Amino acid sequence: MGLSNDQLRLHFSNASIGFETENPLLKDVNLTINSGEIVGLIGRSGIGKTTLLRTAAGLLSPLSGSVECCCDLTMNAKRGSIALIPQRLGLIQHQSVGYNVLMGALPGAKYLQTVLSLPSREIQEATKDAIRAVGLSDKVFESVNRLSGGQQRRVAIARAMVQNPRLILADECLGELDAETAKEIIELLRSLAKEKDIAICIVDHNPLRARTFCDRLLQLRGNSLIEFDNLNEKHSLPQAGDR
Amino acid sequence: MSNRIVDFFHFLKNRPILRSGIYLILLVILTIRHLEINFADFSRASTNLTILMGEAFPPDFSVITDRAAWSKPQCTFEADWACSPAIIGITQTLEIAFLSTIFGMVISLPLAAMAATNLSPPWLAQITRQILSALRVLPSLIWALIFVILVGLGPFAGVLAMTMYTVGYLGKLQYEALEGVSREPLEVARAMGLPRWQIARFFAIPEASNALISQMLFMFEYNVRHGSVIGLVGAGGIGYYLNYYLSPFQLYDRVLALIIVMYVVVVIIDQVSLRVRRKFIDSKDQIQRPRWREVIFSRKN
Repeated sequence: MGLSNDQLRLHFSNASIGFETENPLLKDVNLTINSGEIVGLIGRSGIGKTTLLRTAAGLLSPLSGSVECCCDLTMNAKRGSIALIPQRLGLIQHQSVGYNVLMGALPGAKYLQTVLSLPSREIQEATKDAIRAVGLSDKVFESVNRLSGGQQRRVAIARAMVQNPRLILADECLGELDAETAKEIIELLRSLAKEKDIAICIVDHNPLRARTFCDRLLQLRGNSLIEFDNLNEKHSLPQAGDR
Repeated sequence: MSNRIVDFFHFLKNRPILRSGIYLILLVILTIRHLEINFADFSRASTNLTILMGEAFPPDFSVITDRAAWSKPQCTFEADWACSPAIIGITQTLEIAFLSTIFGMVISLPLAAMAATNLSPPWLAQITRQILSALRVLPSLIWALIFVILVGLGPFAGVLAMTMYTVGYLGKLQYEALEGVSREPLEVARAMGLPRWQIARFFAIPEASNALISQMLFMFEYNVRHGSVIGLVGAGGIGYYLNYYLSPFQLYDRVLALIIVMYVVVVIIDQVSLRVRRKFIDSKDQIQRPRWREVIFSRKN
């Protein structure tokens, strides 16, 4: 079952995805994402992009077929190997930026450190570095619900950075952002993919924007996941009425 | 006659509210008859009330000024007022409420995490819920009676009794709050591969913290009110002194003074607690977590 290639980060093999076996959202999904690659997922609302991402994260089991992350079935993926950035970011609203970013270090922390809630010096430094990298050094103690949408997205990315995962699954983390902020977030994701060899699978509603920073674009159409040639623009962009 | 009854039922058929009202009134009448309630007893009650009021008024506020030499535990302060039944009683009630709220919170929080279906496997959630339900079956007064038998008279029995009740009651409020937290932070934690206890400790509890703090303050309020009742069975607090004046001596003027003191304290605590809790609950467009200094030193609510 295991995959031998070290570069492989996510592998769907003939997977059916959804909630009902008789009526899956997606059928026969075959998808491979390698390290350092940014893959964009596009498609209409409600077609199953989030469900695909949740399955990749191991939160849902595939109805049939298999989904593997870094050579393990995603349900048994190595602790901390997958970082999920959900649509509404999944930040703990009552807590500070520092606390939220620090949570990314939990999978790598020693048991006693978590029991006593005493992060090691290395974890503290990694947290500070991540916060610095996303440009929020002056907001460390600020409650995340007092930040703007763009700043909150940066907090979620910093949390993923501290986690040091092999795969980042980001669900519309560029939604509702102005062009300038979206560009900053894209740069952050690109640097993570290239410098740390992390594979990124990102859902984006804007195919034109997704084409500018993704290595590959996948489109969900009907019950299928279509991988297509980036150069074929006519087919690459979802058309009105697509399903 | 029978035609009239049929007409009446036809009339009711299209009037559901009136029909429900009539059924309710019938049920009330049946219940009163079943309980054999005799409203003629009111006449006796009014006579007794006149006697009671005559003995209770004016209230004897010596309960705040005079030393209670028979207090339990022995009061060692020099000032007489500091060792008066009212002050000792109310202090004990507050202390019992405080300790039982803290102990109850410490015990109920892990139980609540185990009872929350979004944090625990269904079998564990079900078992824990049954335990919490079992603790809520008995009112605090019966718990007090049990602990007075087990550990003897005094505030310790009161603390144990109120703690048991707090665990059952607060545990339910807490697991409902934990089940209400947003799904996304928990999914982030699950995708990380964290164990359940870490998801509860670092994600769910901080996310629900405002509700949890608010519930704890509410429980303290509740325990202050009920802490005065458990003294009637000897579990400490102001109830002990109420019982002392009621049972052997029937000193209703002193009892009334104690009730007034208790009322004033409960109203003050309610108001303070309400103001603090409002800080944690109110939100217009976003949930805010106040800092303690903001709560304590805020100029306006």
